[in-house]
Parts: sequence; structure tokens; C-alpha cells
Amino acid sequence: MVTSLASRLLEALGPDIVRSSPEDLAAYSYDAYSEGYLPTAAVIPRDAREAALAVRIAFECGEPVVPRGAGSGLCGGAIPARGGLVVSMVRMNRILELDVRNRRARVQPGLINLDLSRAIAAHGIFYAPDPSSQKVSTIGGNVGTNAGGPHCLSYGTTTNHVLGVEYVDGEGVIHHTSLDDPGYDLTGLLVGSEGTLGLVTAVEVRLLALPESVRVGLAAFPDVESASEAVSAIIAAGIVPTALEIMDKLITAAVEAHYHAGFPLDAGAVLLVEIAGPRDDMLAGEAAIARIAKQHGAISWRSADDAAEREALWASRKGAAGALGRIAPNYYIQDACVPRTKLPAVIHEIGRIARDHDLPVGNVFHAGDGNLHPLLCFDRRDPRAARAVVEAGTEILTTCIAMGGTISGEHGIGHEKRDALSLVFDTADLAAMGRVRDVFDPQRLFNPDKIFPTGAVCGEVRAPAAVA
Amino acid sequence: MTATLEPRVIAPQDAAEAAATLAACARDGAAVVAIGGSTLQSIGNAPRRCDVALHTRYLRGIREYDPRDMTAGIDAGTTLAEVARVLGEHGQWIPFDAPLPARATVGGTLAAGWAGPRRAVYGRPRDLVLGSTIALTDGTLARAGGMVVKNVTGYDMSKLYVGSLGTLGLIVRANFKALPRPPVRRMAIAPIADDLRDRTIAAIGALAIEPTAALVIDGFARVTTYPGASLRLVLLFEGSDAVVERGTRDARSALGKAGIAETLLLDGDAADGALTQLIDAYVDAPGERTLTYRTTGLPSGAWARTRAADALAHEHGLTFESIADLRTGDAILRFSAHTIASFAATIAAFDADVRRAFDRATVLAGAPTLRAAVDAWGSVPSTIETMRAIKAHFDPAGILAPGRYVGAI
Repeated sequence: MVTSLASRLLEALGPDIVRSSPEDLAAYSYDAYSEGYLPTAAVIPRDAREAALAVRIAFECGEPVVPRGAGSGLCGGAIPARGGLVVSMVRMNRILELDVRNRRARVQPGLINLDLSRAIAAHGIFYAPDPSSQKVSTIGGNVGTNAGGPHCLSYGTTTNHVLGVEYVDGEGVIHHTSLDDPGYDLTGLLVGSEGTLGLVTAVEVRLLALPESVRVGLAAFPDVESASEAVSAIIAAGIVPTALEIMDKLITAAVEAHYHAGFPLDAGAVLLVEIAGPRDDMLAGEAAIARIAKQHGAISWRSADDAAEREALWASRKGAAGALGRIAPNYYIQDACVPRTKLPAVIHEIGRIARDHDLPVGNVFHAGDGNLHPLLCFDRRDPRAARAVVEAGTEILTTCIAMGGTISGEHGIGHEKRDALSLVFDTADLAAMGRVRDVFDPQRLFNPDKIFPTGAVCGEVRAPAAVA
Repeated sequence: MTATLEPRVIAPQDAAEAAATLAACARDGAAVVAIGGSTLQSIGNAPRRCDVALHTRYLRGIREYDPRDMTAGIDAGTTLAEVARVLGEHGQWIPFDAPLPARATVGGTLAAGWAGPRRAVYGRPRDLVLGSTIALTDGTLARAGGMVVKNVTGYDMSKLYVGSLGTLGLIVRANFKALPRPPVRRMAIAPIADDLRDRTIAAIGALAIEPTAALVIDGFARVTTYPGASLRLVLLFEGSDAVVERGTRDARSALGKAGIAETLLLDGDAADGALTQLIDAYVDAPGERTLTYRTTGLPSGAWARTRAADALAHEHGLTFESIADLRTGDAILRFSAHTIASFAATIAAFDADVRRAFDRATVLAGAPTLRAAVDAWGSVPSTIETMRAIKAHFDPAGILAPGRYVGAI
């Protein structure tokens, strides 16, 4: 079987496209969550036709197919958990069509998120979903996990910006979906399906006009709870900023040491607010936000006056996770979402859980969306700490569920959280999803061991690896 | 249509009863058609059979609405007007943009996949659905998503159910993301002279403050009227006072340069009322001798599609009215004849011409006789086999609105 897959791929696609030596395959054995799963072969196709051929061959060999963008996913979505074929999209990174007037683009899945917005900025348009990983993560990967980002507060997540996809089924047939077509919304099903329904080979995205003006403000609060209360109050006032991001003291200190953007180090939490839109609304909007922040205990308010200052603040926020390397050798980033008004309570609980497990925790999160990212710091060489991280992570998820929330806001379920999915959904709920899987992938060869819980929760607990 | 007997009406008291009803119907092989407010029943083909009319009238109520979270769980039979009233008390709304809101239900609007003229700005209803519960023919209730605004936990099943027209199950509840309702709303109506229309449309595309809706309307004489003009431009501005003010000013100035001297303005409730009437007209079938298609496509092509349809109407001796949606790309094409008999005599040839002219034209409304004579969907998408398989997995007995959907699903 092993030689058969690699040799058939080589014969069909040639050595430039196919990788099969163990040292080459090591590069496809991990993602930002985990490592150690060696695939049987990898291909780096240049177009949909080559990708489709590779998929067909893998299915004929009975081997799984695992799509791979940048490998920056945080829940093991890109690891070849059962070996098989990894399809790397790095060469399929072009903008195939750009329609400025209708604000649409057709792009290949390996295109890096930020590269798209940079390429079209001169036309006064942009692609709204902006996960913090946008400098490396790909549109295809973003489609797989229905990625969010700080700005989905007002713009929505990836699914709200995908108008259609091209995908390959297990027989290697290329299909096209479009929101303009009549019939079931296959586009909406494919977005967020984490590569388990087919291999996406092109994405038609919706683009937006760049806002006329953008303002960023920074408020310092005594603690995360008061900052969270301010967030709810801002939104309750009928203001929807484009972003409302909170960083706690631990994260702010790490970020400031790294980026020197001028964050206040004496605050218990900082709130980064961005508003965007017609210039007429900016001053009044900013004044209202500053007033509400002060009413909720803000110690200070600062406006970023120019684009450079704004970008420095954003670079710090998006680089927050990376800056944590200064605090601990490893960190584990959790992703969960709760109703916004539950933020103060859930942050309090996360603090307690971390203390119980003797783990330092930093909180950096999309507060406007109630989307939490507690970062648990540890040293993976210490087995006790590695175990504690897994336990604390699970407790955080159950706490969020108990508060009416869910176990992933934007990173996805992947390999990591598949067993936790049954904490959220019962058998009937999962059975409905299973029917969709049966339609698209009856052989269960597209990215197996992802999303769906294992029959029984396995006793094996894997320490989450992490980038540092 | 082979249905001869009046269908039995069943109105479940709750979600569990709805699921049990579907299971019983599946066991008996009884065909089920879901009924909400019956405002969009003209979408899709008439089902081949209908033994049970499953009403959602008792499944109503707005649950779990916390204005501070701006999320709401709403039962399927709740009317859009009720949602607007309750959320409106908190300055919030869910922009369904659907016809006949006093009767239309949340479940029906979602099932029909309705998406209105403001979706370029606020998204389609599908984009505001955070989670759902559906009753399935095996008697189970399946949930998807949740009550949080960001959620990647398993497949986004709600997307599948929205627009499935009751062919996969009965949506019994949906959770929504509410939005702050724009405090100021203004509609501008301007007459367009025939020789100025291209310049007018170009001028609108270049506005810095983009209107939330921009429509070129021809005919539809009872809505968004401008004295003496058949062809008119309708712009909607929504937002803060300052933005709406500037939007109107810029639009008037751009229209002035394009040769249009006068613009009628409607504010607040008057603007809302005019928009509601306009959206109602999308599915209105006056005089029982009209047929209305919706074509979808690129916004830049919407106006051209209405012109092509106009030519087609002339060839067939039909009266033509249209709405070209410059922001979403929809074109609403309404054809009418002097008598239903004359239209019915040539409907097959006419419909074939419509299908030849447009890739994506579906029947939206019209006289029942005319609708019965055509396939509402026209062409089938290339993914039809996948869609058929989905139908077979969710409704193996084939009891849910058989024949109503694309490709005779």
C-alpha cells in the first residue's frame, strides 16, 4: 500500500510534485498544535487538475487525504492523524480573477490571507476576515476553519465572505458551488468543514470597500472584568466598533517588551478599540466610546492619531501569542466563545482554574465577540505541567459551555477537540452532521479523525505541543 | 399536480410534537408541506403530493433574547413583525428584508432562503443565523451552532437548512445575531430619463457614502412612485444623522451632474413603509396574469438583464416591469399579459426563451396556472447529484414537499 501510493503519484505527477522520502515528509507531520504523524506521501500541486488527480489516486489506494495550508492551525486540523496523503497548497497561491467593480475575487486556497488584501488595496477594497495569523495563514485554511479575527465583530467570519468554492471529491471530480445557484447551500456547508468533505481548490471571495476613515483608541483598566463590562456597555449603546480587543496585564507586559508600542504597564487590562466608516461618524463615535470606558473605570484613554501608531498597536495585538515566548518556554492557547455579558464571570473562573493547576495564564481575546483565548504557560519538559495544561484546558471548555458558550469560536475542532464536541452536541445533533459526511465522503478518507468524536473517549491524553 | 384531497392540517404545540409528527408521516408515507405565514409559498414548484400541511403557528415566541448580548433564539412560527417590534424596543433588529412581515414567519423566511435588497450591507438572513434546531423525519431534533456570535463546532448545518424549502426537515427554532437598528433612514426617489440612465447608474456606483440599497425600478406603479415617471432610481441611506445627510447630499449632487434635477425624499417611517411596500411587490401577483422571475448574478449586469428581459417581453407581446438591484445583482422581472388565457397559451415557449437568456432565473411569484406550467428552477446546478444525495440521507422516505425543490427533489 505504502509503495503503491507514492509510486502511483510519482508516475502520474512526477518528482517535482510528489514527496515521499521520510526526511521530506517530516515537514508535513505537524501543525501548530501537534506533531509526529508521518504521512505516506505529500504532493504540492500547481493547479486543481493536479490536486484532483492526487486525490483520486489516494482514494483508489484507500489512503486518507489531508489538506494543508500554512500549517498554522492550532487544533491539529492539518496533521495526518492516520497517515495517507498530505496535499500542500503552497504553490496554489494565485489570485485567479479580480473583479473590482463587483468586489469579487477568485483565488487559489494557498494564497496567504494578508497577501490578498495587500494585492487589492490600491483598488480601495479589502478582504475582511483577518485572523491574527494572517501573515502566514492561507485563504484555504481560513475556509477550512471558518476563521475569524479581530475584525469579525462588525464584518463577520470567513463564511460571510465566501461566495462559492471549487472542490474535489473522492473520485477526483472537480465541483463548483455558488451562492447565486439555486439549491442547497453547499458553500455554507463546506466553509468550516475542516477538509472533511472534500479538497477545496479555489475560493470565490467577497471584497469590501476600504472604510473612509479608521480610528484606534486604547483604554487602560484596573482589571479584565471592568474592561469586559465596558465592552458590553459600548455595544449596548448601539455602537458596533470594527474591533474590541482585550489584553490582560501578563500579555500586555510581554507585548510591550517585544514591540514597544506604548502600552500602559500599570493597568490590569487594556482595551483596544477600532472604529471605521465614514469620517462624519468618527469623532462622535470615539468620544462616546471614551466616555463609556471612563464610566466603567478606565484609568486612561489614548487615541492613535496616525496610521503608523495604529499599525504598531495592531501589530502588538496580533503578535501577542508570539511575544509570550518571553514568559514561558511553551504555551497552550485555548479558543472558546461565550455570550458577551458572561465575559467577566468566565474570566474570573479561568483565573481560578489556572491557579488550581498552578499555571500562569494570560488572556488576550476578541471581547466584542465573547471569543476567549486564554494562554496557559508551561514547560513541556515538565510532565506534570503538560498534564495540568490538558486538564485546565478541558475545565475551561466545560465552564464556557455551562455559561451558554461553545468550545471553539474560530480555531476549529480539528484533532484536538473532537472528543469535546460531544460536550456540546448530543447523538441526534452529531448524526445530522454525520449524514452530510456520508454524502460527501462515505469512505471517511477526507481528513479522518477530525471534528467527529471517537466512539469512546480514549484514555490517552496527548500533551498539547505549542509554538513558542 | 396529482393531489386531489384537501391536506390534513396539523399544527404541533411544540418542537417535540413536530418531530413526532414527521416521524409518523414518514412511517405512513404521508407527504408533508411546512406552512408558516404562506407568504413565500410561490417559491419553488408545487409539491407533487401534499397529505399533511404542517403549520408552525403554535411554535412561536422569542426566547433567550438578551439585548446586551444582541442574540435571540426565535421559534419558527414567530412573525417578522413581532421580531421587529420586540427587538425594536431595544433599538435592535434582524434585517430580514422579506415581504409581508405581518404574516411572514421566521421559519418560512429562512426555509425559503429569502435575501433582500439590503443584504450587501447587512448580510443575508443566513449570515445572521448563529444556530438552529430542526425536526427530522426520523423523529429527532437536531441542533447546530449555538447562541454565540462566533462558532466553529462541527458543520454549519444551519446553512444547509436555510433555503432548503422544507425538503430536509422542519426548522423549529433559529438563533440570531441582532444588529443595532440604524437610527436614521432615508429613501431618495429620482426619475430617470431614458437617455440618461447609463450615466445615472455610473454616478451611483461612485458614491463615497454607499446606499444600503440602490434599485432601478421600471413599472411597479403602486410602489416608490415618482409623479410622471415610470423609470426611477431608489436609494436608501441608513445610519447616523451625519452620514445619511452627507449621503443624500452627495447623491443629489451626483444625480444633478447626470442631468436629474429633482429627487423626492422620504424619512424615517415613510422610508420604512415605502421599502416594505416595494419588497412586498417582489412576490405580488396582481390580476392573476403575471409571472415574476428573479435572476441572480453580478451587480454590474443587473440592469442589462432587465433590458434583455424587456426585449423578450416585446417579442412575446407581454407587458414588462423590473427591479434592477445595483448592489446585490438581483434582477426582478415581472411579465404580464392582457388575459391569463393568452399568457397560458404561450407560456412554455416564453419560459424556454427566459431560460435561454438567463443562466440563473427562478420563478418568484405569479398566477398559479402559469407557475404550474413551468419548472420554477429552470436549470439545475452542476452539484445536483450531491444535493439529491443530501435529500436521500435526510428524507429517505421522500415525504417532505416532494418535487418542490431544484431538480425535482
